[in-house]
Amino acid sequence: MGRFLAIFVAIVVGLFALELTPPLQAAVVAPWTAGLARVSAALAASFDPHVLSAGKVLRSSTNGFAISIEAGCNGLEAAIVLIAAMLAFPAPWKHRLIGVAAGLGAVQVLNVARVISLFYLGQWSPAAFEWAHLYLWQALIMLDALAVWLVWLRTLRAPEEWASARAEAVPP
Amino acid sequence: MNDSRVGGFVVRTLLWLPACFALWYGTAPYHASIAGAFAHGWLALLTPGLVHGVERTGSSLAFVTTLRVHPQPGQEAVLVPEVSALVYTYGLALFAALTLAVRARWWKILAGAGLLLVFQGWSIAFDLLAQVGIGLGPEVSALAGFGEWRRESIALGYQLGAVIFPTLAPVMVWAFLCGAFIQGVVHRDRGLPVAAS
Repeated sequence: MGRFLAIFVAIVVGLFALELTPPLQAAVVAPWTAGLARVSAALAASFDPHVLSAGKVLRSSTNGFAISIEAGCNGLEAAIVLIAAMLAFPAPWKHRLIGVAAGLGAVQVLNVARVISLFYLGQWSPAAFEWAHLYLWQALIMLDALAVWLVWLRTLRAPEEWASARAEAVPP
Repeated sequence: MNDSRVGGFVVRTLLWLPACFALWYGTAPYHASIAGAFAHGWLALLTPGLVHGVERTGSSLAFVTTLRVHPQPGQEAVLVPEVSALVYTYGLALFAALTLAVRARWWKILAGAGLLLVFQGWSIAFDLLAQVGIGLGPEVSALAGFGEWRRESIALGYQLGAVIFPTLAPVMVWAFLCGAFIQGVVHRDRGLPVAAS
């Protein structure tokens, strides 16, 4: 547990510091956030034709209400935590990579739901928006990441099973 | 504790979350006082002499600094930046819901709440430092004696405290105190014994 925690914290701090650097902000964070806004707007447009996206902003053309997707709301921090948890836990690399890919998908699906729900909550009630934005959705996204990690843990084989699986894979 | 079904755990956490949020919100002003004291401790450690008192109004904490600013010519004022504790303490509700969902013993909630104060104090302290070192402009930053590298450190500490700690710390403290549940998840399918929680 101690080794896992040490590696986990080191990866989280390392990836987080990397995420904050201007080159990565420009190359990854900004395009990712703009993509999230576009996907959210496209999904919302299936039932509301008045939703527009520009950069990281989602806007309603009927009442002018807009939200801007900022750091902490683009799902990247939850993704960093999930990646770190999967890399820190002893597992075969193939299993880690599958877990990271599936986990990122699960986190981002819920994050799109967060963005769309906040967009409409904000138009309905500023107080409800603040509560959901600052407290509730933050907790739900982290719970999602935790659940994905726990499901991934359940699918892991014991080390002795990896060895026998490798032995079976090698032709006689 | 040997019920390691992840689905059941998630459902129980979701069911506990509204009650935990309500309890946290109701007690937030009292909790803010304690978190403010921890923030004061961090500030005394990181920037000795910058803050000499913390005052609370509701869930808002006002830090009485030793910095004297001049809002207008001939006027002098003590800088008293405010920080909303709610933004950094809601993780207590998530931690309590996670702990109740694995039916852990009650003392673990108290122990976890105590451990979380260290992180919450960090977040509040770095919110204040970010205001002084970055948000209020170069004059205030120079008055506090913050150089370039210190402002960079403050920016990283603030980002950690604002974005990562509020949600990650509750999960890490929960994993530390309720590790038997995680062991149960790992070992259940392998027929290995699971430690009691």
